[in-house]
Amino acid sequence: MTAVRVRELSVRVGSTLLLDGVSLDIEAGTWCTIVGPNGAGKTTLVESVAGLRRPHAGSISIGGQPLASLSERQRARAVSLVPQHPEVPAGMSVLDYVSLGRTAHHGLFRSASASDRAVVDSVLKRLALDPFAERDVLTLSGGERQRMVLGRALAQSTMVMVLDEPITGLDLRHQMELLELLRTEVNECGLTVVATLHDLTLAGQFADRLVLLDRGRVVLDASAAEVVRAPELGECYGMKLRVVDIDGADVVVPVRS
Amino acid sequence: MAIVALCTLVALCASVVGGLVIGPTPMGVGRVVGDLFSHVGLGHSTLSPLQSTIVWQLRAPRLVLGLLAGAMLAVAGGTYQGVFRNPLADPYLLGVAAGAGLGATFAIVNVGGGVATPTWTPLLAFVGAMVAVLVTWLLGGHGLRSNASTLILAGVAVSSLLTSVQTYLQQSSSNSIARVYIWLLGSLATANWHTVDMVLPYVVGCVAVCVAAGRALDVMSVGENESRSLGLPVQRVRLIVVAASSLGTAAVVSAVGLIGFVGIIVPHIVRLLVGTSYRRILPISVAFGAAFLVFSDTIARTVLAPSELPIGVVTALVGAPVFVVILNLRRRVLQ
Repeated sequence: MTAVRVRELSVRVGSTLLLDGVSLDIEAGTWCTIVGPNGAGKTTLVESVAGLRRPHAGSISIGGQPLASLSERQRARAVSLVPQHPEVPAGMSVLDYVSLGRTAHHGLFRSASASDRAVVDSVLKRLALDPFAERDVLTLSGGERQRMVLGRALAQSTMVMVLDEPITGLDLRHQMELLELLRTEVNECGLTVVATLHDLTLAGQFADRLVLLDRGRVVLDASAAEVVRAPELGECYGMKLRVVDIDGADVVVPVRS
Repeated sequence: MAIVALCTLVALCASVVGGLVIGPTPMGVGRVVGDLFSHVGLGHSTLSPLQSTIVWQLRAPRLVLGLLAGAMLAVAGGTYQGVFRNPLADPYLLGVAAGAGLGATFAIVNVGGGVATPTWTPLLAFVGAMVAVLVTWLLGGHGLRSNASTLILAGVAVSSLLTSVQTYLQQSSSNSIARVYIWLLGSLATANWHTVDMVLPYVVGCVAVCVAAGRALDVMSVGENESRSLGLPVQRVRLIVVAASSLGTAAVVSAVGLIGFVGIIVPHIVRLLVGTSYRRILPISVAFGAAFLVFSDTIARTVLAPSELPIGVVTALVGAPVFVVILNLRRRVLQ
């Protein structure tokens, strides 16, 4: 089943074309990572899939439903977002922050139901956030905070989760922890992930499929192993890249010219 | 939270009793309460006819108008701070004050001061306030497509323009300057039951909408894009909240003039006491704002009796130290 279908998507800001005829099909329960140099249109693409940008042309469907036909509430029950720079409101507890993810389920004029609270409790436990539930969000470390943002997105209980550079600013251990958590959600819960990542090695290790984007166009759309070895990858970045196999994992290394 | 709510309720009751009892004509609490009940057909008043008139025709409507104005200004300030995510936002942000000021000045200067003023001043102040907000809304991004910062900038531009016109009108009619100035400072002195009847439906409806928006404002604390990704119809919420806050504020301002400080400082005091959730800030602000304005008015009309201090002076003189004390107390608790 196709979870995300993008057809001839173009996004324009003023006279600048940020995406130019992008088409993608992402199967349900798989992880697709968008890679490419700065300015390639990665963030624009994931924001469009999350419904935050209005396309100039083309269409996006989530689970067969055209995104443009969904209300905000319906959209938030279909796609969740982990932004690159999430806003963390001072004074809010971790529990309240993660509970924001249930907004689209209980609405604005009803309190959270028992099932909403059960979902939030389950997410807090899965992400090992339950010991911090009552703490102010500002007291968390970078890794804990990013887990909390992931928790809010998981609490939305969506078919598709969109993540824009979710490991920015995290140390290596926390990067791996977060991506492992996400991989578990894909494998065990059937979550469909559409993410952007700058780290090509991690992108190759965790994603089922990589889409290489450059100047708003899809250059390559294939398995991770194929994309990291393709000559187009280095050409898009304007540099020489080597792929080293370490214990069966592809490690992408930039080479000084 | 429960303690703060209880303390606010006690303060509200104390301000109500003080507003009815304190004044140049001393009267006991029991006799005043008895007189109020007698007006709704329960029991008999033990006050003299003059005392009864003072309570029922002067103090009671002034008290009720003060409660309504304080509640509305405080909750409107809180919702504006939430919807614009700006701690400096107050109910006058989108031009309500400037529009009402221009409308009232026009009425005082042109419609004839004396007899016509009590009718025309509130009416034109209300119209001016609503027109100003409407123009701000349209200039700030063509209605539903507006964003917060564009709206604030449009509000600044509209306010500046209307204030300059109002200043010109005021200066061009030197014999009306004093009356215009008194109106601009705000006062509850002209309150009567007719004014209360006019303001009441607006305040009750608009306060209810603002308080109900608390959950939406909590969601908006993560920013516009994230709120939308969580399923919040941001522009629709902003339209409803701004419309309710502006309408209620315009109704209040048209009746009592421009009372400053309540709308900006009360939500901040409440925030320091109950935390950052608008589901708590807004209902507590309603009671706190009402108590605060009635308390300030009681001081304003008694401290220099028989003359009165402008109520805006008292709200600032009382509110600023209260805010500083609470800020320091909270800082000590957090340390």
